[in-house]
Amino acid sequence: MVAPLYTTDSGLLFHAGKILVLTIGLPARGKTHISRALERYLRWMGVKTLVVSLGDYRRRMLGGAQKVPPDYFSPGEKSPETIALRKKVSDGCEQVIWDYFDGGGQVVIYDANNGKKEVRDALAQKFSEKGIHVVLLESLCDNREIIENNIRSVKISSPDYRNWDPDQAVQDYYKRIKNHEQYYETIADTKWPYIKILNVGEKITLNDIHGYLQSRIVFFLMNIHNRFRTIYFARSGQSLIEHSYKADSDLSPAGWEYAETLKDYVLERRAKSLEARGLNPSERKLVIWTSTRRRAHHTAWPFVAATNGPQASQIPELQIDGIDADLTSSPISEEDPHPFPKPAVVLPSKVKVVEKPQMLEINPGIWDGLTPEQARKYYPEDWDRFTKDPYSYRAPRAESYHDLSVRLEPILIELEREQEDLLIIGHASVIRCLLAYLIGLPPAEVPAVEIARGDLLEVVPTSYGVHSHAFHFWDGPGRSRDGDPVDVRDANNFYENYAEDTKGKRKVSVEEYHSPDINNVLNLPSSEAKGAPVLV
Amino acid sequence: MADNREVLSDSSSIAPTNNPTSPDLLSTSNRDNPKVDLQVSEDLQRVTGVLHDMAAAGEFEELVPTKAMPLSPGIPPAAFGAGGPMLKQFDQKSAFTSRRGSTTTTPPVSVKGIGNKVAKPDYSESKIVVAMVGLPARGKSYLSNKLMIYLKWLEYDVKVFNVGQLRRTRAKQRAQKEGVKEDHNASWFSHANKQASESREQLAHDSLEMLIQWLKDGGNVGIHDATNSTRSRRASIQERVEKEDGMSLIFLESFTDDPALIAANVALKVSSGDPDYKDIPAEEAKRDFLRRISEYEKVYETITEPDLSYLKIVNVGSQVMMSKINGYLQSRIAFFLMNLHLKPRSIYMSRHGESQFNVEGKIGGDSLLSPRGMQYAEALPALITDNIGDAPLTVWTSTLRRTIQTASKLPYPKLTWKSLDELDAGVCDGMTYEEIQQAYPDDFANRDEDKFNYRYRGGESYRDVVVRLEPVIMELERQENILIIGHQAIIRCLYAYFHNLPQEDLPYIKIPLHTVIKLTPKAYGCDEERYALGIDAVDTHRPKPKGPSPTVQLTTARQYFADIDSSK
Repeated sequence: MVAPLYTTDSGLLFHAGKILVLTIGLPARGKTHISRALERYLRWMGVKTLVVSLGDYRRRMLGGAQKVPPDYFSPGEKSPETIALRKKVSDGCEQVIWDYFDGGGQVVIYDANNGKKEVRDALAQKFSEKGIHVVLLESLCDNREIIENNIRSVKISSPDYRNWDPDQAVQDYYKRIKNHEQYYETIADTKWPYIKILNVGEKITLNDIHGYLQSRIVFFLMNIHNRFRTIYFARSGQSLIEHSYKADSDLSPAGWEYAETLKDYVLERRAKSLEARGLNPSERKLVIWTSTRRRAHHTAWPFVAATNGPQASQIPELQIDGIDADLTSSPISEEDPHPFPKPAVVLPSKVKVVEKPQMLEINPGIWDGLTPEQARKYYPEDWDRFTKDPYSYRAPRAESYHDLSVRLEPILIELEREQEDLLIIGHASVIRCLLAYLIGLPPAEVPAVEIARGDLLEVVPTSYGVHSHAFHFWDGPGRSRDGDPVDVRDANNFYENYAEDTKGKRKVSVEEYHSPDINNVLNLPSSEAKGAPVLV
Repeated sequence: MADNREVLSDSSSIAPTNNPTSPDLLSTSNRDNPKVDLQVSEDLQRVTGVLHDMAAAGEFEELVPTKAMPLSPGIPPAAFGAGGPMLKQFDQKSAFTSRRGSTTTTPPVSVKGIGNKVAKPDYSESKIVVAMVGLPARGKSYLSNKLMIYLKWLEYDVKVFNVGQLRRTRAKQRAQKEGVKEDHNASWFSHANKQASESREQLAHDSLEMLIQWLKDGGNVGIHDATNSTRSRRASIQERVEKEDGMSLIFLESFTDDPALIAANVALKVSSGDPDYKDIPAEEAKRDFLRRISEYEKVYETITEPDLSYLKIVNVGSQVMMSKINGYLQSRIAFFLMNLHLKPRSIYMSRHGESQFNVEGKIGGDSLLSPRGMQYAEALPALITDNIGDAPLTVWTSTLRRTIQTASKLPYPKLTWKSLDELDAGVCDGMTYEEIQQAYPDDFANRDEDKFNYRYRGGESYRDVVVRLEPVIMELERQENILIIGHQAIIRCLYAYFHNLPQEDLPYIKIPLHTVIKLTPKAYGCDEERYALGIDAVDTHRPKPKGPSPTVQLTTARQYFADIDSSK
């Protein structure tokens, strides 16, 4: 069996060769934001990718802006020492890039201003001669508000401005931009393939972009946006046969109870979070994505059924795809024969449930329905390889996590594009992949992300990553805690949950329902917390 | 779990004693690869082992496999497969248990059987006007036609509103009614001709109104195929569409300054029977057409308006500009269009060679090739190499062994795609149609009723396959010469895309074994050649129960009067 998919002898993916992306742009144009987002996306697809930041490198070599000679950032004639120093920094960065390519890396994003045409052309030429595909990525911005926001939220917290007065720092930063503007040359010729982005995706211009990976990069960049929204993740309810992919069984009684609780909790949680930000929850829509598995879209059933009242009974099973439940116009009648306590929460302006076939759980192939003991006993070799590398090993006729990531890629792009608040009711393996992307985990750790049933994950994308909180709202059969499964049926679902069962590294500590301090941040790592990117 | 484990440790002594390997199965042997043989028998040992375990653990209870629930050798034990006893047993027990927890007044119908019809997803929120912009002979109709086929294949309701066609239709009606034949030569298109200008303005307006009405009646994407060459025309379209709630507008400009491309487009237009130039000698037609272009050039303004949502494609994809593209479908449209190219190339498709499961009449599985299938794999390289010569070619296979084996002798770079795996028959994987019919007669009939929409339990429908193949289509549009070694359902879906076949016909397209299909994309369709290798194979085609099988009409020319808009 081939694993991972698309690997060539060289270890590169998608037969795309090596790619150097040179960012171009004045300071505070979102180059770092775009570079990091791209790095996260490519790494998630399994492509070995590195952002090399000239600013970071300079600070590591020379220290903060105070420690460099005064003419380092100013225009005009520079002293020979400064010229030598600048050359040392850029040569050092270049060496980092060569080393990464030589060590098997596939994509490098060189995050620097690269404003001088002559200099960047020479750089492009040098790498191109060695068979590396060069793509220029220019970030332009004519929206003063975006620039100012960028400076205030990111730039002045850089070590260059430690102990500065914020307003003075902003003024100084504008001065630095002005200096750069004097020699800045936008891309004006078509010699190299390029991508020009205006105002984080408002306008995109492409020249001569070819190749699979390059075109994926463009499609990704076309879809990112920076509008505020919230993404919720929850597992589907427990089903009657947890460990069979094929049986596509219905929810168990506990699963139905879970679905009801989930609906109440999501609506309540969502209203609270939005109100805390001064947003009106009844003016925003809620989109729910589930898979085409019964256990997944039935978990969304209460959202549609309870909010649509008796009419819902007329909805035959097979038309649940994309039903619009207009929550405000059809309240539950008093005579509801099955009254269910409604929480006093503000409902979304609209709820839409969409079933997505790409969101099926990871396919266990030939191991479907087997217990872990049976799989180990009859497939010792496969078992061995699977336990060693659950990310890239594909059991017979099964999917590896890499396969799953490739299958989910269109969903991920759609997730980036989606502007409404989103609830994803999914299978553990699928949530794991999507979450790993959002928080920027390396592929090998994807199978180990723990997603307990009964937790609701709230994820808010920010400029350099995400803020994530988990809330625990339900206990019952089908929830396994601390590797101690409550129900044997879940333990048998080993292909989906293998890494989790072996006590994954990425354990989410969970906030309890009704906890007084709901804003407690969890130790689910967000890339924001991990390493604040420093800027040029 | 604990008691189960005990049983298991006991059962380790119950080594599989009877090996159900049939001689038939061993004939799959691949002479060059003895390891493959070994793998088959290993699989069988495991199968029997697991079944023994299950029996020992009491998982079969009173249910004994009957003739209607066969346990075919060679198939891994899908514990809940439709061929085994457990699925029916489970369905009987679970029909009521599941409902106990639901407090909704109307819990969904409980699961049973082997599959279901699934309704089309709701696209009613997508209402997009795509307004073309560009001089004549810049490939606008080519782009709008490609876009229509792509979106239709993805089940969006798409219609092209071609202003030129409306003009000709109306002129024809007037000619019939009043007996006046209008001459639509170049001077009719001159900006100086006031009366004609007004009349052209009116046509564009009417056609936009028809488009908007059609979107209101339930359409998803309406393509306004006209030159829309001035800022004022575009502003008026924008103003009109803004009045409609929930409709969005994208301008799609096809800009070409490559003289060779324009000349090719002009030649195509003149030679392909444009009714405006009926009965006019080719040279004269060409002259008039070039004059018509120059009339448009006088007033043409390329899109630069900063507030418009637009996509500008320069020389079919060498440069692309997009501005204010909002919405997921819009960005998909943009991405699709930027992946198109016009380089001559061919797409070869073939199913894998005859597999052991084909011989046994079973669906799904991951069996190896039969001896005749191996013959096909041996013969394939000569056929392909003769056909393609020295041109570069990439071979795509699925991850299943029968396609990899079929491609094994081909001297070209190969890629395996998980997305090219055969339609997943879920619980029916590994059964013959007769077995399925015996075990679940009603369900089986349901599938024949509406094959495209039928999803196997735990498996896929044809629609699911189309969704999964979308990235493959995108990549195929970008690539040059490709040979796909695939499976029946997969090739049907890809073939239907290239020939623009309606989805109700899609599951019945004849894709015989041991035959290479060569598709050569042309401006308005695909040329097709088929090469049967003359190596016998079983016929796995199941004809449509009612009505004729679909036929492909090969058209590579633009059809001016054929009603391309209203095709199903």
